[in-house]
Amino acid sequence: MQQLKANLIEHIKTSFKDAREKDYPNENRLDFYVNKQCIPSILTYAKDRLGYIHLSHIAIVDWLEDGEIELIYIIWSPEEKIKMFVRTRVERENSVMPNIDMIWRQANTYEREFREMYGIQFQGLEGEQDFLLEDWDGPPPMRRDFDTEAYADDTFFHRPGREDAQDVREAITKRSGEEIPDFAKKYSR
Amino acid sequence: MINDKNSQKIVDIIQNWARKQSIWVLAYGTGCGAIEIPPTMTSRYDAERLGVRGAATPRQADVLLITGYLTTKTLKRVIRVYEQMQDPKYVIGFGSCTINGGMYYDSYNTIKVLDKYLPVDVYINGCMPRPESVLAGFGKLQELIGNGEANGATKYKENLEWYRANQKKIIPNWVMPEYNW
Repeated sequence: MQQLKANLIEHIKTSFKDAREKDYPNENRLDFYVNKQCIPSILTYAKDRLGYIHLSHIAIVDWLEDGEIELIYIIWSPEEKIKMFVRTRVERENSVMPNIDMIWRQANTYEREFREMYGIQFQGLEGEQDFLLEDWDGPPPMRRDFDTEAYADDTFFHRPGREDAQDVREAITKRSGEEIPDFAKKYSR
Repeated sequence: MINDKNSQKIVDIIQNWARKQSIWVLAYGTGCGAIEIPPTMTSRYDAERLGVRGAATPRQADVLLITGYLTTKTLKRVIRVYEQMQDPKYVIGFGSCTINGGMYYDSYNTIKVLDKYLPVDVYINGCMPRPESVLAGFGKLQELIGNGEANGATKYKENLEWYRANQKKIIPNWVMPEYNW
């Protein structure tokens, strides 16, 4: 397995100069950072030459502090039993990604969801603009800087809470005459 | 034809008694609460002994069960379904999501207070309500129907503009028919 993994790393590094390897202790997993322009070519290379015929998942991470969004393409080779994580980062503002749904058709679903939930545009992506949300005109809701609570407050009605609502712990101690221990006071309202 | 006030009362009593004995529920699960309906309907709790049973289409049903959270997308369908139902019709709000949003109180896509959009006759609280409480809710609804107090549908007709305004506030792209009852 170690030998196989080293071979794969070498293959990818010779074909893609800018691929940076991210070290990961598990021996059945490979991890690469690449530029976003390389994504279609590295995935095609892995699919056609290295036997990575299965796209398991596309994950997404919003790095708000870095101003970037990370996309992780997780592909799997049933013969070699090694997972490959291909990572790339795009800027958060006006983010455009190359489209890979001609390599795996199921990527279309992921990409439409990312377009709707994270506001990432994919070049030449086909499909209805509305996917999960209907009539949505707010900002992409899954981004970390979207304040869901504030949005819900001005969009929907809220039922006001009961006026006689009591803190359970305080009510019980008052009734039974016990003292609240110091460490528990911070949990009271 | 009966015009006498007292005989109308007797007719109402018989009508209400008949209505409360056969509550047909529309089999339309809107949220996660729909998972409590199979045990309620099947042999263990057997709601059919109380006259509660499933109906296939909105036009055959008396009760619309809103089982749990309603997204704005589902609300559109639910309104459509509710308006297709024939009188007499009742709505049961099921679970804390319909009462105050429950665990989705800060969600960007679910409504929090159901009775601003549809007239609710009975609320069943809990997350999830057990089949016992579902049956208790149906019992309460039967009591209200028997007393002639379950008049959500009349309320909806009379205050249609208010309900429509609330509904259109969160469904901007309105493609449903307008009624003039």
